[in-house]
Amino acid sequence: MILISPYSKQLRSGKTNPKNYPFWKSVVELRDDFVQIGIEGEEQLVPDFRKNLPLSQLRQLINECDTWISCDSFIQHLGWDEGKKGIVLWSVSDPLIFGHAENVNLLKDRSYLAPNQFGWWEFVEHNSDAFVSPEIVKQALDSLLSFDKT
Amino acid sequence: MSILCSVATRGRYETTLPLVLMAILNQTKLPDKLIIFDDNDDAKDMREMTFYQHFFRICLEKRLDWEVVYAPKKGQHHIHQIANTWGYKWVWRVDDDCIPETNVLERLSKYIEADDIGAVGGAILTPQSGVPIPYDLPSTGLIDQIDAEPNIQWGYITQAKPVQHLHCSFIYRAGVHDYHLGLSRVAHREETLFTYGLHQKGYVNMVVPSANSWHLKNPQGGIRSETKHEMFQHDEHVFRNMLGLRDKTIVVLDSGMGDHVVFSHVLKDIQNPEVFSCYPEIVPGRSIAEAHYLFGNLDQWSIYKKMIDWGWKDSLEAAYRKMYL
Repeated sequence: MILISPYSKQLRSGKTNPKNYPFWKSVVELRDDFVQIGIEGEEQLVPDFRKNLPLSQLRQLINECDTWISCDSFIQHLGWDEGKKGIVLWSVSDPLIFGHAENVNLLKDRSYLAPNQFGWWEFVEHNSDAFVSPEIVKQALDSLLSFDKT
Repeated sequence: MSILCSVATRGRYETTLPLVLMAILNQTKLPDKLIIFDDNDDAKDMREMTFYQHFFRICLEKRLDWEVVYAPKKGQHHIHQIANTWGYKWVWRVDDDCIPETNVLERLSKYIEADDIGAVGGAILTPQSGVPIPYDLPSTGLIDQIDAEPNIQWGYITQAKPVQHLHCSFIYRAGVHDYHLGLSRVAHREETLFTYGLHQKGYVNMVVPSANSWHLKNPQGGIRSETKHEMFQHDEHVFRNMLGLRDKTIVVLDSGMGDHVVFSHVLKDIQNPEVFSCYPEIVPGRSIAEAHYLFGNLDQWSIYKKMIDWGWKDSLEAAYRKMYL
């Protein structure tokens, strides 16, 4: 089972969070064992969508899954905290500051990082070009899963 | 050893400020820079005022770099925090009605060469007709005695000694401890909290002899000229709450869930922490609402503000370590 946490915190302005990965629909076509976690109101991407789980169940799911994929959100920290390696899809926030070296951090290019890493994400526009392609996510996932098997 | 001289002023353009500025200009050791933080509601261009025209000309001649900054009008603690983070190693803060004798900066500077010095102050004397100023007040300078003894700086000082807190004007090591920005605009107790904070971080504060300043306590103007009783009450409340937790490392996590998870890896290394947390299921602690009640504004504990101030490039965990360890 692969856990996915597709969305970062909703912005108060209603704009799309610039950390949200735009190509999830291509990613979820790769396999049929994805389980989505998130909160009420987020778009459902796979049949198994578990919403508003308490922290204890999130920790349990992380420990049960083969791996996880997330944008820069709470789950990348929780996965690291639980010692379960996963894939983080970066865009405007800096993995050197907010990420963990134990994860697979996929950042397309540092030139897309927001100049102010510590301001409100409300003021940063979403840019689909800032993210790696689904093919790169697939490669990283295959590599991570085959590594786990060895 | 770079020294910034910081003067916060309000309502004293034509009373004590000129005396203070001339006293700074006539120091036997000049600071590297003088910043005047103008906190007046109706701030003037000081370059257009005759006295200050002359003053700035002499500064130029004596190569004393100067700058006037229009202050944010949030109280002098905010002004001092700006000076604290201006980039100098030391800040000599001088009140706008506290006139240093000519040797004060030279005398204070002699004591800041040691690595462990946090702040150094001299006597802060108020001339009152018919009342002799005492010598060597029998004060310990300990924070526990603050309600029981006069401030040691209120009398002549004949011997250097360590104290836990200082008052009014002094020189301090910049950028190692923050002013408490949770205080109100009157900033009551701000220097006590600040210098005691340096002491808590392991730095030595001292009072030293032959470094006298004359605190005129001019009744008009002044950076604390706002006299709302509620503000003093609020600040005293914050002060007492800070003192009540003085043996603890106060941790305030007013941030996101992920930040809490990262911080949880730092917590075990913090000595005697008292934690206030938004997500007690991740980091157990008292509520953030209680922290607001106890300490006022919580910005000084904002890890994001800190990372901006520090121009941070390292990890979030390293930032928490820098903040709390």
